[in-house]
Amino acid sequence: MKILVVDDEQLARERVIDMLAKIDNQITVVEADNGRSALEIANNDQPDTVLIDIRMPVMDGLECAFHLAAMPTPPSVIFITAYEKHAVKAFETNAIDYLLKPVREERLTKAIEKAAIINRANLAALQKLRQGKANRSYLSVVSQGKIQLIPVEEIRYFKADQKYVTVYWENGETLIDESLKGLEDEFVETFIRIHRNALVSIAHIVSLEKNRDGGYYIIMKDNQEKLSVSRRLAVEAKQRMKKFSL
Amino acid sequence: MTDTKENIKSFLPDFCNSRTVFVLILVAELLAIILTLAPLSYNPINFTNLAMNSLFIQWVTLACIGVLCAFRKQFYMYNDHWVATISYGITILVTFVLAELTWWLVTMSSIDFNVPQYEHYIFLLQYEHYLFLLRVMGISAITWALALRYFYIQHQYRQQIESESEARYQVLQARIKPHFLFNCLNTIASLIRRQPEMAEQAIEDLADLFRASLQDNRDSHTLEDELTICKRYLRIEQHRLGKRLQLDWQIPTLPVNIKLPALSLQPLLENAIYHGIEQLGEGGTVLFSCVVEEDHLLITIKNPVPERDNNTHHGNRLAQDNVRQRLESFFNKDNLLSVYLTDHNYTVSVIVPSPKA
Repeated sequence: MKILVVDDEQLARERVIDMLAKIDNQITVVEADNGRSALEIANNDQPDTVLIDIRMPVMDGLECAFHLAAMPTPPSVIFITAYEKHAVKAFETNAIDYLLKPVREERLTKAIEKAAIINRANLAALQKLRQGKANRSYLSVVSQGKIQLIPVEEIRYFKADQKYVTVYWENGETLIDESLKGLEDEFVETFIRIHRNALVSIAHIVSLEKNRDGGYYIIMKDNQEKLSVSRRLAVEAKQRMKKFSL
Repeated sequence: MTDTKENIKSFLPDFCNSRTVFVLILVAELLAIILTLAPLSYNPINFTNLAMNSLFIQWVTLACIGVLCAFRKQFYMYNDHWVATISYGITILVTFVLAELTWWLVTMSSIDFNVPQYEHYIFLLQYEHYLFLLRVMGISAITWALALRYFYIQHQYRQQIESESEARYQVLQARIKPHFLFNCLNTIASLIRRQPEMAEQAIEDLADLFRASLQDNRDSHTLEDELTICKRYLRIEQHRLGKRLQLDWQIPTLPVNIKLPALSLQPLLENAIYHGIEQLGEGGTVLFSCVVEEDHLLITIKNPVPERDNNTHHGNRLAQDNVRQRLESFFNKDNLLSVYLTDHNYTVSVIVPSPKA
């Protein structure tokens, strides 16, 4: 059995690792100090179970669990938390297992025995409870059995094409399995819908221009791409851009 | 400091205080103006009347203030009902005596003993005398009653605010963040196995921190005590965060004997770590500096913050506002705490007024 222990505090990891060794010496342990590095390790080591702290820098535990759940063979996840009132309540209503710090050995033993895979819908519900920042900082896609992360701040725009949504970001174009509507709702603060099929990052817009036949288009940073804006959404886009630049 | 405490004891304001005297004189003058304006006749406003009214009313007011000031010490021995009755009695008595005096002064100087129908004249004068006393006593009784009522209500209001802020003070001072507590206990649990001596030290530090948060004696906490608390707190966090937490501790030799409320700097450090260092994968440096100025100390706490984080400041504000409130009520000054936020840094500056040499 392989267990991935994720916590940003070394002493906290050490304690859990010591306990795991005591519980069962057949357990192999890998560790990570934040959600993002946990995903890299999960890609390479394919752990059976992930013990993960919630509050961590770079990527927190809830977001990491969300991406883990997208893996072809997702690991079971057990959350560990010192004191997150909201999360604990949500775990209970969604029947997700969690441990409280300082972790007790018998609780840990039990949790590992019955560790279950958490479904992504449950985790999405949890995401919303994260205070202040309800949106992910990364999108994940699985290619060749591994998770690839797309930092949201590097995304220029999303374009829907019949069934799929394509992400245009700094490292190219990637197909993702999500709906434009869902993305629009999640990233409402940083992205604007400019067309039925396009959602654009406000930070990547240079300007909004008018073409000869009265239609609007947007010029994007870096590659000077032009994206057409539907007449219906032009006014709102203008206002949002103005607000953003203030 | 002592003045406000005395004021709280009795509902009457300090009549020896120049501010109170000034306010009362002002109110008395307003009363004089009202009385001059009051008669509804076609006559133009009579400035001689205003002068006479003012003279008399100010005379009465100042005399009452003088007597009440002299009796001030006695008031603290009785409860509010007695204080109200006694002070009301005093003011009525003073007014009566002065009204009588005024009457005799005015009439004696103008009595004409050679008028015909002398007896009738005296009768009319007597009649006027009683009318005058009645009017003066009526106005005075009502006005003093209103004034006492006003003092009483204001006192109640002030007391309520005082007790509310006292309660909040205690609640918030006792609030060591649970997040910190449980993480700290977890760290200690881990240290016990691997570095028992470190664990022992961490427990001692935690105990000191709790003791400070439970401390009730507000007046005896010095800057030195607070700095010790801060160091102990940082030592605990150092165990948890390891290399991620770097410290830049710039404290010169400080003037001794500077007092400040307990836990007025530690929560700011806690914010710096909770919202800053902990949120950064690589960690960062917390700057803690103190500059000695002529009449105050300037303490600065600066920490890096994650770039894209625009919404962590609700939590910040609670502890920060509490610190601000306590500092400002302790030193009785405004604007002692200020915050600067740049793209990557969060800076809190605290001014600690130093006692006059």
